[in-house]
Amino acid sequence: MMFKRVFIKILLVISILGFSNNVLANEQDNLKAHFLEELSDIIKIIDNKQFTKDERNTKIVNELTPMFDFKLMAKLSLGKKKWMSLSKEAQVEFVTLYVERMKNSYSSKIDSYEDEEVKITDIKRKKNRISLETEIATAEKNLKVVYKFYKPKKRKNDKDVWLIYDVEIIGISILKADKAQFKEFLRTKTIEALMEALSKQKTT
Amino acid sequence: MLKNYVILLLLTLIVFNFTACTSKDAEVPQKIEVTQEEVADDDFDEFEEEMEVKEVSDPFEGYNRVMTNFNDGMYEHFFKPVNKGYVVITTPDVRVSIGNFFRNLYFPMRFVNNVLQGKFRYAFEETGRFLVNTTAGCLGFFDPAKKKMGLKSHKEDFGQTLGFYGVGAGPHIVIPLFGPSNLRDAISFFPDAAVSPIDYKKRDWPTLTQTWPGLIAVKSVEKLNEVSLYQNQYEEIRKDAVDLYPYLRDLYEQKRAKEIEE
Repeated sequence: MMFKRVFIKILLVISILGFSNNVLANEQDNLKAHFLEELSDIIKIIDNKQFTKDERNTKIVNELTPMFDFKLMAKLSLGKKKWMSLSKEAQVEFVTLYVERMKNSYSSKIDSYEDEEVKITDIKRKKNRISLETEIATAEKNLKVVYKFYKPKKRKNDKDVWLIYDVEIIGISILKADKAQFKEFLRTKTIEALMEALSKQKTT
Repeated sequence: MLKNYVILLLLTLIVFNFTACTSKDAEVPQKIEVTQEEVADDDFDEFEEEMEVKEVSDPFEGYNRVMTNFNDGMYEHFFKPVNKGYVVITTPDVRVSIGNFFRNLYFPMRFVNNVLQGKFRYAFEETGRFLVNTTAGCLGFFDPAKKKMGLKSHKEDFGQTLGFYGVGAGPHIVIPLFGPSNLRDAISFFPDAAVSPIDYKKRDWPTLTQTWPGLIAVKSVEKLNEVSLYQNQYEEIRKDAVDLYPYLRDLYEQKRAKEIEE
Protein backbone atom coordinates (compact mmCIF):
# COMPACT_ATOMS: atom_id res chain seq x y z
CA MET A 1 0.00 0.00 0.00
CA MET A 2 2.68 2.40 1.20
CA PHE A 3 4.91 1.33 -1.64
CA LYS A 4 2.23 1.99 -4.23
CA ARG A 5 1.65 5.52 -2.99
CA VAL A 6 5.33 6.33 -3.25
CA PHE A 7 5.39 4.80 -6.68
CA ILE A 8 2.52 6.98 -7.86
CA LYS A 9 4.20 10.07 -6.48
CA ILE A 10 7.42 9.26 -8.27
CA LEU A 11 5.57 8.68 -11.51
CA LEU A 12 3.73 11.94 -11.10
CA VAL A 13 6.94 13.89 -10.59
CA ILE A 14 8.64 12.22 -13.53
CA SER A 15 5.75 12.89 -15.86
CA ILE A 16 5.45 16.55 -14.89
CA LEU A 17 9.18 17.12 -15.18
CA GLY A 18 9.32 15.33 -18.47
CA PHE A 19 6.39 17.23 -19.85
CA SER A 20 7.66 20.71 -18.98
CA ASN A 21 11.10 19.86 -20.32
CA ASN A 22 9.60 18.79 -23.58
CA VAL A 23 7.69 21.99 -24.08
CA LEU A 24 10.78 24.10 -23.46
CA ALA A 25 13.05 22.00 -25.63
CA ASN A 26 10.53 21.92 -28.44
CA GLU A 27 10.21 25.67 -28.55
CA GLN A 28 13.96 26.00 -28.94
CA ASP A 29 14.07 23.30 -31.60
CA ASN A 30 11.24 24.98 -33.45
CA LEU A 31 12.98 28.33 -33.37
CA LYS A 32 16.21 26.78 -34.57
CA ALA A 33 14.44 24.99 -37.40
CA HIS A 34 12.58 28.14 -38.33
CA PHE A 35 15.79 30.17 -38.33
CA LEU A 36 17.59 27.68 -40.56
CA GLU A 37 14.61 27.65 -42.91
CA GLU A 38 14.67 31.44 -43.19
CA LEU A 39 18.39 31.34 -43.71
CA SER A 40 18.18 28.89 -46.56
CA ASP A 41 15.38 30.95 -48.12
CA ILE A 42 17.59 34.02 -47.96
CA ILE A 43 20.53 32.19 -49.43
CA LYS A 44 18.28 31.02 -52.26
CA ILE A 45 17.34 34.64 -52.94
CA ILE A 46 20.98 35.69 -52.90
CA ASP A 47 22.00 32.86 -55.20
CA ASN A 48 19.27 33.68 -57.69
CA LYS A 49 21.13 35.80 -60.20
CA GLN A 50 17.95 36.89 -62.00
CA PHE A 51 17.06 39.51 -59.41
CA THR A 52 18.50 42.99 -59.56
CA LYS A 53 20.27 44.20 -56.45
CA ASP A 54 17.25 46.23 -55.32
CA GLU A 55 14.78 43.44 -55.98
CA ARG A 56 16.96 41.04 -54.08
CA ASN A 57 17.38 43.30 -51.07
CA THR A 58 13.65 44.06 -50.86
CA LYS A 59 12.89 40.36 -50.99
CA ILE A 60 15.36 39.66 -48.21
CA VAL A 61 14.10 42.47 -46.03
CA ASN A 62 10.54 41.21 -46.51
CA GLU A 63 11.69 37.75 -45.54
CA LEU A 64 13.33 39.09 -42.38
CA THR A 65 10.64 41.53 -41.27
CA PRO A 66 8.40 38.99 -39.48
CA MET A 67 11.43 37.84 -37.44
CA PHE A 68 12.38 41.27 -36.11
CA ASP A 69 10.59 43.56 -33.71
CA PHE A 70 11.90 46.71 -35.34
CA LYS A 71 9.38 48.85 -33.49
CA LEU A 72 10.57 47.69 -30.12
CA MET A 73 14.17 48.21 -31.23
CA ALA A 74 13.38 51.78 -32.19
CA LYS A 75 11.84 52.44 -28.79
CA LEU A 76 14.66 50.78 -26.89
CA SER A 77 17.26 52.72 -28.84
CA LEU A 78 15.92 55.93 -27.33
CA GLY A 79 15.43 54.61 -23.83
CA LYS A 80 12.25 54.86 -21.82
CA LYS A 81 12.64 58.41 -20.54
CA LYS A 82 13.31 59.96 -23.92
CA TRP A 83 10.64 57.90 -25.64
CA MET A 84 7.96 58.92 -23.16
CA SER A 85 8.88 62.57 -23.58
CA LEU A 86 8.11 62.50 -27.32
CA SER A 87 4.76 63.49 -28.76
CA LYS A 88 2.66 60.80 -30.44
CA GLU A 89 3.55 62.15 -33.90
CA ALA A 90 7.24 62.30 -33.12
CA GLN A 91 7.13 58.72 -31.85
CA VAL A 92 5.59 57.49 -35.07
CA GLU A 93 8.06 59.48 -37.16
CA PHE A 94 11.03 58.23 -35.19
CA VAL A 95 9.98 54.59 -35.46
CA THR A 96 9.45 54.95 -39.20
CA LEU A 97 12.89 56.48 -39.69
CA TYR A 98 14.62 53.96 -37.46
CA VAL A 99 13.01 50.97 -39.16
CA GLU A 100 13.88 52.38 -42.57
CA ARG A 101 17.47 52.84 -41.47
CA MET A 102 17.68 49.30 -40.08
CA LYS A 103 16.46 47.88 -43.34
CA ASN A 104 18.91 49.93 -45.34
CA SER A 105 21.74 48.99 -43.07
CA TYR A 106 20.86 45.33 -43.51
CA SER A 107 20.63 45.62 -47.26
CA SER A 108 24.02 47.20 -47.50
CA LYS A 109 25.50 44.45 -45.33
CA ILE A 110 23.96 41.85 -47.59
CA ASP A 111 25.71 43.49 -50.53
CA SER A 112 29.06 42.65 -49.01
CA TYR A 113 28.06 39.03 -48.43
CA GLU A 114 30.26 36.59 -50.33
CA ASP A 115 29.35 32.93 -50.03
CA GLU A 116 29.99 32.84 -46.33
CA GLU A 117 28.81 29.87 -44.39
CA VAL A 118 26.54 30.42 -41.39
CA LYS A 119 26.14 27.81 -38.72
CA ILE A 120 24.34 27.73 -35.40
CA THR A 121 26.79 27.08 -32.59
CA ASP A 122 24.55 27.31 -29.55
CA ILE A 123 21.07 28.16 -28.38
CA LYS A 124 20.39 29.36 -24.84
CA ARG A 125 17.12 30.07 -23.13
CA LYS A 126 16.39 32.19 -20.12
CA LYS A 127 12.67 32.56 -19.39
CA ASN A 128 11.20 34.52 -22.28
CA ARG A 129 14.55 35.15 -23.94
CA ILE A 130 16.44 32.95 -26.36
CA SER A 131 19.86 33.76 -27.70
CA LEU A 132 20.79 31.99 -30.87
CA GLU A 133 24.54 31.97 -31.38
CA THR A 134 25.83 31.67 -34.91
CA GLU A 135 29.18 31.77 -36.58
CA ILE A 136 29.83 33.21 -40.01
CA ALA A 137 32.91 31.64 -41.53
CA THR A 138 34.68 34.22 -43.68
CA ALA A 139 37.90 33.53 -45.50
CA GLU A 140 39.83 35.44 -42.88
CA LYS A 141 38.19 34.39 -39.64
CA ASN A 142 34.96 33.40 -37.94
CA LEU A 143 32.55 36.14 -36.95
CA LYS A 144 30.36 35.44 -33.98
CA VAL A 145 26.83 36.78 -34.39
CA VAL A 146 24.21 36.32 -31.68
CA TYR A 147 20.51 36.84 -32.40
CA LYS A 148 18.53 37.74 -29.32
CA PHE A 149 14.89 36.73 -29.31
CA TYR A 150 12.11 37.48 -26.86
CA LYS A 151 8.59 36.22 -26.65
CA PRO A 152 6.03 39.01 -26.43
CA LYS A 153 3.24 38.41 -23.97
CA LYS A 154 0.77 38.77 -26.81
CA ARG A 155 1.48 37.48 -30.27
CA LYS A 156 1.89 40.38 -32.70
CA ASN A 157 0.20 40.84 -36.03
CA ASP A 158 2.07 39.32 -38.98
CA LYS A 159 4.94 38.45 -36.70
CA ASP A 160 6.63 35.29 -35.51
CA VAL A 161 6.15 33.97 -31.98
CA TRP A 162 9.73 34.72 -31.03
CA LEU A 163 11.07 38.06 -32.18
CA ILE A 164 14.57 39.39 -32.55
CA TYR A 165 15.11 42.53 -30.49
CA ASP A 166 18.90 42.77 -30.74
CA VAL A 167 21.83 41.40 -32.71
CA GLU A 168 25.28 41.07 -31.25
CA ILE A 169 28.15 41.12 -33.71
CA ILE A 170 31.56 40.12 -32.30
CA GLY A 171 30.33 41.09 -28.87
CA ILE A 172 28.87 44.42 -29.92
CA SER A 173 25.14 44.85 -29.40
CA ILE A 174 23.85 46.95 -32.28
CA LEU A 175 21.01 48.18 -30.12
CA LYS A 176 23.29 49.29 -27.30
CA ALA A 177 25.58 50.94 -29.81
CA ASP A 178 22.65 52.89 -31.22
CA LYS A 179 21.35 53.74 -27.79
CA ALA A 180 24.75 55.08 -26.78
CA GLN A 181 25.18 57.17 -29.91
CA PHE A 182 21.65 58.59 -29.78
CA LYS A 183 22.09 59.46 -26.13
CA GLU A 184 25.34 61.23 -26.90
CA PHE A 185 23.77 63.06 -29.84
CA LEU A 186 20.77 64.17 -27.79
CA ARG A 187 22.98 65.54 -25.04
CA THR A 188 23.74 68.53 -27.21
CA LYS A 189 21.14 68.36 -29.98
CA THR A 190 17.37 68.00 -30.33
CA ILE A 191 15.33 64.99 -31.35
CA GLU A 192 14.43 66.82 -34.56
CA ALA A 193 18.12 67.07 -35.44
CA LEU A 194 18.54 63.37 -34.73
CA MET A 195 15.65 62.50 -36.99
CA GLU A 196 17.08 64.66 -39.71
CA ALA A 197 20.44 62.93 -39.37
CA LEU A 198 18.71 59.55 -39.59
CA SER A 199 16.74 60.50 -42.68
CA LYS A 200 19.94 61.73 -44.34
CA GLN A 201 21.64 58.43 -43.53
CA LYS A 202 18.91 56.61 -45.35
CA THR A 203 19.80 58.14 -48.67
CA THR A 204 23.56 57.73 -48.50
CA MET B 1 -9.42 0.26 -9.09
CA LEU B 2 -9.12 4.00 -9.23
CA LYS B 3 -5.46 3.75 -8.40
CA ASN B 4 -4.89 1.48 -11.34
CA TYR B 5 -6.40 4.09 -13.60
CA VAL B 6 -4.16 6.76 -12.17
CA ILE B 7 -1.10 4.63 -12.77
CA LEU B 8 -2.24 3.87 -16.29
CA LEU B 9 -2.82 7.53 -16.97
CA LEU B 10 0.61 8.46 -15.65
CA LEU B 11 2.24 5.76 -17.70
CA THR B 12 0.55 7.04 -20.85
CA LEU B 13 1.77 10.53 -19.99
CA ILE B 14 5.33 9.28 -19.67
CA VAL B 15 5.13 7.35 -22.92
CA PHE B 16 3.66 10.40 -24.59
CA ASN B 17 6.60 12.44 -23.32
CA PHE B 18 9.09 10.09 -24.86
CA THR B 19 7.35 10.03 -28.19
CA ALA B 20 7.09 13.80 -28.12
CA CYS B 21 10.84 13.88 -27.62
CA THR B 22 11.53 11.82 -30.66
CA SER B 23 8.98 13.32 -33.05
CA LYS B 24 10.83 15.92 -35.02
CA ASP B 25 8.23 17.69 -37.13
CA ALA B 26 8.42 21.38 -36.36
CA GLU B 27 5.12 23.01 -35.61
CA VAL B 28 4.09 25.76 -37.92
CA PRO B 29 3.23 28.71 -35.71
CA GLN B 30 -0.41 29.62 -36.07
CA LYS B 31 -1.44 33.05 -37.13
CA ILE B 32 -3.27 34.74 -34.30
CA GLU B 33 -4.88 38.08 -34.90
CA VAL B 34 -3.95 40.55 -32.21
CA THR B 35 -5.88 43.73 -31.94
CA GLN B 36 -3.57 45.61 -29.62
CA GLU B 37 -0.89 46.65 -32.03
CA GLU B 38 1.40 48.76 -29.92
CA VAL B 39 3.76 47.21 -27.42
CA ALA B 40 2.57 48.00 -23.93
CA ASP B 41 4.97 50.31 -22.21
CA ASP B 42 5.72 47.79 -19.48
CA ASP B 43 7.78 45.97 -22.10
CA PHE B 44 10.30 48.69 -21.51
CA ASP B 45 10.95 47.75 -17.90
CA GLU B 46 11.75 44.24 -18.99
CA PHE B 47 14.58 45.53 -21.17
CA GLU B 48 15.65 48.59 -19.22
CA GLU B 49 18.34 46.81 -17.22
CA GLU B 50 19.55 44.69 -20.10
CA MET B 51 19.92 47.65 -22.42
CA GLU B 52 21.61 49.92 -19.94
CA VAL B 53 24.42 51.83 -21.60
CA LYS B 54 27.52 52.51 -19.56
CA GLU B 55 28.97 55.99 -19.66
CA VAL B 56 32.47 55.94 -21.13
CA SER B 57 35.04 58.04 -19.31
CA ASP B 58 36.04 60.69 -21.83
CA PRO B 59 38.07 63.62 -20.50
CA PHE B 60 40.03 63.87 -23.78
CA GLU B 61 36.96 64.21 -25.96
CA GLY B 62 38.26 67.29 -27.75
CA TYR B 63 41.55 65.66 -28.72
CA ASN B 64 39.83 62.36 -29.50
CA ARG B 65 37.43 64.00 -31.91
CA VAL B 66 40.27 65.73 -33.74
CA MET B 67 42.26 62.51 -33.92
CA THR B 68 39.23 60.55 -35.15
CA ASN B 69 38.79 63.08 -37.95
CA PHE B 70 42.49 62.78 -38.76
CA ASN B 71 42.33 58.98 -38.86
CA ASP B 72 39.19 59.04 -40.95
CA GLY B 73 40.82 61.53 -43.31
CA MET B 74 43.88 59.30 -43.55
CA TYR B 75 41.61 56.41 -44.40
CA GLU B 76 39.64 58.37 -46.99
CA HIS B 77 42.56 60.15 -48.69
CA PHE B 78 45.46 57.79 -48.15
CA PHE B 79 44.66 54.20 -47.20
CA LYS B 80 41.59 53.91 -49.40
CA PRO B 81 43.32 55.03 -52.64
CA VAL B 82 46.46 53.03 -51.84
CA ASN B 83 44.29 50.05 -51.02
CA LYS B 84 42.64 50.34 -54.43
CA GLY B 85 46.02 49.72 -56.00
CA TYR B 86 46.87 47.01 -53.50
CA VAL B 87 43.66 45.13 -54.29
CA VAL B 88 44.55 45.23 -58.00
CA ILE B 89 47.97 43.65 -57.53
CA THR B 90 46.87 41.02 -54.98
CA THR B 91 44.20 38.33 -55.00
CA PRO B 92 41.89 37.79 -52.01
CA ASP B 93 43.78 34.59 -51.19
CA VAL B 94 47.04 36.48 -51.02
CA ARG B 95 45.57 39.09 -48.70
CA VAL B 96 44.14 36.43 -46.39
CA SER B 97 47.53 34.66 -46.41
CA ILE B 98 49.36 37.82 -45.47
CA GLY B 99 46.86 38.34 -42.67
CA ASN B 100 47.53 34.75 -41.53
CA PHE B 101 51.27 35.35 -41.62
CA PHE B 102 51.07 38.34 -39.28
CA ARG B 103 48.60 36.62 -36.99
CA ASN B 104 50.96 33.66 -36.68
CA LEU B 105 53.82 36.00 -35.74
CA TYR B 106 51.84 37.37 -32.81
CA PHE B 107 51.69 33.90 -31.26
CA PRO B 108 54.00 34.81 -28.33
CA MET B 109 51.64 37.62 -27.27
CA ARG B 110 48.63 35.31 -27.28
CA PHE B 111 50.53 32.53 -25.52
CA VAL B 112 51.87 34.74 -22.73
CA ASN B 113 48.55 36.44 -22.09
CA ASN B 114 46.57 33.20 -22.10
CA VAL B 115 49.02 31.82 -19.53
CA LEU B 116 48.84 34.99 -17.43
CA GLN B 117 45.07 34.57 -17.27
CA GLY B 118 45.37 30.91 -16.35
CA LYS B 119 43.85 29.81 -19.66
CA PHE B 120 46.29 26.94 -20.10
CA ARG B 121 44.16 24.97 -22.51
CA TYR B 122 43.99 27.92 -24.88
CA ALA B 123 47.73 28.51 -24.53
CA PHE B 124 48.27 24.88 -25.43
CA GLU B 125 45.94 25.14 -28.42
CA GLU B 126 47.77 28.28 -29.56
CA THR B 127 51.09 26.45 -29.30
CA GLY B 128 49.73 23.66 -31.44
CA ARG B 129 48.53 26.20 -34.00
CA PHE B 130 51.88 27.92 -34.09
CA LEU B 131 53.83 24.70 -34.58
CA VAL B 132 51.52 23.38 -37.29
CA ASN B 133 51.09 26.66 -39.16
CA THR B 134 54.75 27.61 -39.04
CA THR B 135 55.77 24.26 -40.54
CA ALA B 136 52.93 22.74 -42.56
CA GLY B 137 51.40 26.19 -43.08
CA CYS B 138 54.56 27.55 -44.77
CA LEU B 139 55.69 30.09 -42.14
CA GLY B 140 52.12 30.86 -41.20
CA PHE B 141 50.86 31.94 -44.59
CA PHE B 142 48.29 29.17 -44.46
CA ASP B 143 46.11 27.98 -41.62
CA PRO B 144 45.97 24.17 -41.79
CA ALA B 145 45.69 24.09 -37.97
CA LYS B 146 42.16 25.46 -38.20
CA LYS B 147 41.14 23.95 -41.50
CA LYS B 148 42.47 20.44 -41.00
CA MET B 149 42.73 20.05 -37.25
CA GLY B 150 40.07 22.39 -35.91
CA LEU B 151 42.49 24.26 -33.64
CA LYS B 152 41.09 27.70 -32.93
CA SER B 153 42.93 30.91 -32.22
CA HIS B 154 42.32 32.57 -28.85
CA LYS B 155 43.38 36.15 -29.08
CA GLU B 156 44.43 37.62 -25.77
CA ASP B 157 46.52 40.74 -25.30
CA PHE B 158 47.92 42.46 -22.23
CA GLY B 159 45.00 44.87 -22.06
CA GLN B 160 42.69 41.88 -21.71
CA THR B 161 44.98 40.39 -19.06
CA LEU B 162 44.83 43.60 -17.04
CA GLY B 163 41.07 43.72 -17.51
CA PHE B 164 40.87 40.08 -16.39
CA TYR B 165 42.47 41.08 -13.08
CA GLY B 166 40.04 43.94 -12.63
CA VAL B 167 41.95 46.90 -14.06
CA GLY B 168 39.46 49.42 -15.45
CA ALA B 169 39.62 50.78 -18.98
CA GLY B 170 40.52 54.33 -17.96
CA PRO B 171 39.86 57.28 -20.25
CA HIS B 172 39.27 56.65 -23.93
CA ILE B 173 42.18 57.65 -26.17
CA VAL B 174 42.25 57.67 -29.95
CA ILE B 175 45.71 56.74 -31.23
CA PRO B 176 47.02 58.21 -34.50
CA LEU B 177 46.61 55.71 -37.39
CA PHE B 178 45.68 52.92 -35.01
CA GLY B 179 42.28 54.17 -33.93
CA PRO B 180 40.20 53.85 -30.76
CA SER B 181 41.87 52.70 -27.57
CA ASN B 182 41.91 53.53 -23.87
CA LEU B 183 44.59 54.18 -21.29
CA ARG B 184 44.79 50.56 -20.14
CA ASP B 185 45.02 49.15 -23.67
CA ALA B 186 47.43 51.85 -24.86
CA ILE B 187 49.88 51.11 -22.04
CA SER B 188 49.52 47.43 -22.84
CA PHE B 189 51.07 47.97 -26.26
CA PHE B 190 54.49 48.04 -24.59
CA PRO B 191 54.49 44.65 -22.86
CA ASP B 192 52.89 43.13 -25.95
CA ALA B 193 55.52 44.71 -28.20
CA ALA B 194 58.22 43.30 -25.91
CA VAL B 195 57.25 39.76 -26.94
CA SER B 196 56.54 40.66 -30.58
CA PRO B 197 58.90 39.27 -33.19
CA ILE B 198 58.26 42.32 -35.32
CA ASP B 199 60.83 44.66 -33.84
CA TYR B 200 64.35 45.88 -34.45
CA LYS B 201 65.72 45.74 -30.91
CA LYS B 202 68.13 43.02 -29.86
CA ARG B 203 66.27 39.94 -28.75
CA ASP B 204 67.13 36.43 -27.67
CA TRP B 205 65.08 35.12 -30.57
CA PRO B 206 65.05 36.00 -34.28
CA THR B 207 63.06 39.10 -35.18
CA LEU B 208 61.58 39.94 -38.54
CA THR B 209 63.35 43.27 -38.90
CA GLN B 210 66.74 44.59 -37.83
CA THR B 211 66.38 48.36 -38.34
CA TRP B 212 63.66 50.89 -37.63
CA PRO B 213 63.04 51.73 -41.30
CA GLY B 214 62.58 48.00 -41.80
CA LEU B 215 60.12 47.91 -38.93
CA ILE B 216 58.12 50.79 -40.43
CA ALA B 217 58.05 49.07 -43.82
CA VAL B 218 56.79 45.82 -42.33
CA LYS B 219 54.24 47.62 -40.17
CA SER B 220 52.99 49.49 -43.24
CA VAL B 221 52.40 46.27 -45.14
CA GLU B 222 50.61 44.87 -42.11
CA LYS B 223 48.41 47.96 -41.82
CA LEU B 224 47.66 48.09 -45.54
CA ASN B 225 46.69 44.44 -45.58
CA GLU B 226 44.51 44.97 -42.55
CA VAL B 227 42.75 47.86 -44.30
CA SER B 228 42.07 45.64 -47.31
CA LEU B 229 40.57 42.93 -45.10
CA TYR B 230 38.44 45.18 -42.92
CA GLN B 231 37.53 47.95 -45.35
CA ASN B 232 33.92 46.78 -45.70
CA GLN B 233 33.42 46.62 -41.97
CA TYR B 234 34.73 50.14 -41.46
CA GLU B 235 32.59 51.53 -44.27
CA GLU B 236 29.51 49.86 -42.77
CA ILE B 237 30.24 51.32 -39.36
CA ARG B 238 30.66 54.76 -40.89
CA LYS B 239 27.26 54.46 -42.53
CA ASP B 240 25.54 53.47 -39.30
CA ALA B 241 26.99 56.34 -37.29
CA VAL B 242 25.11 59.57 -36.71
CA ASP B 243 28.29 60.98 -35.19
CA LEU B 244 31.43 59.00 -36.00
CA TYR B 245 33.61 59.62 -32.96
CA PRO B 246 31.30 58.55 -30.11
CA TYR B 247 30.04 55.65 -32.21
CA LEU B 248 33.53 54.27 -32.78
CA ARG B 249 34.35 54.89 -29.13
CA ASP B 250 31.36 52.93 -27.85
CA LEU B 251 31.85 50.09 -30.30
CA TYR B 252 35.44 49.77 -29.16
CA GLU B 253 34.67 49.87 -25.44
CA GLN B 254 31.77 47.42 -25.83
CA LYS B 255 33.93 45.02 -27.80
CA ARG B 256 36.77 45.16 -25.29
CA ALA B 257 34.45 44.69 -22.32
CA LYS B 258 33.03 41.61 -24.01
CA GLU B 259 36.47 40.22 -24.87
CA ILE B 260 37.58 40.61 -21.27
CA GLU B 261 34.38 39.03 -19.96
CA GLU B 262 35.08 35.94 -22.04
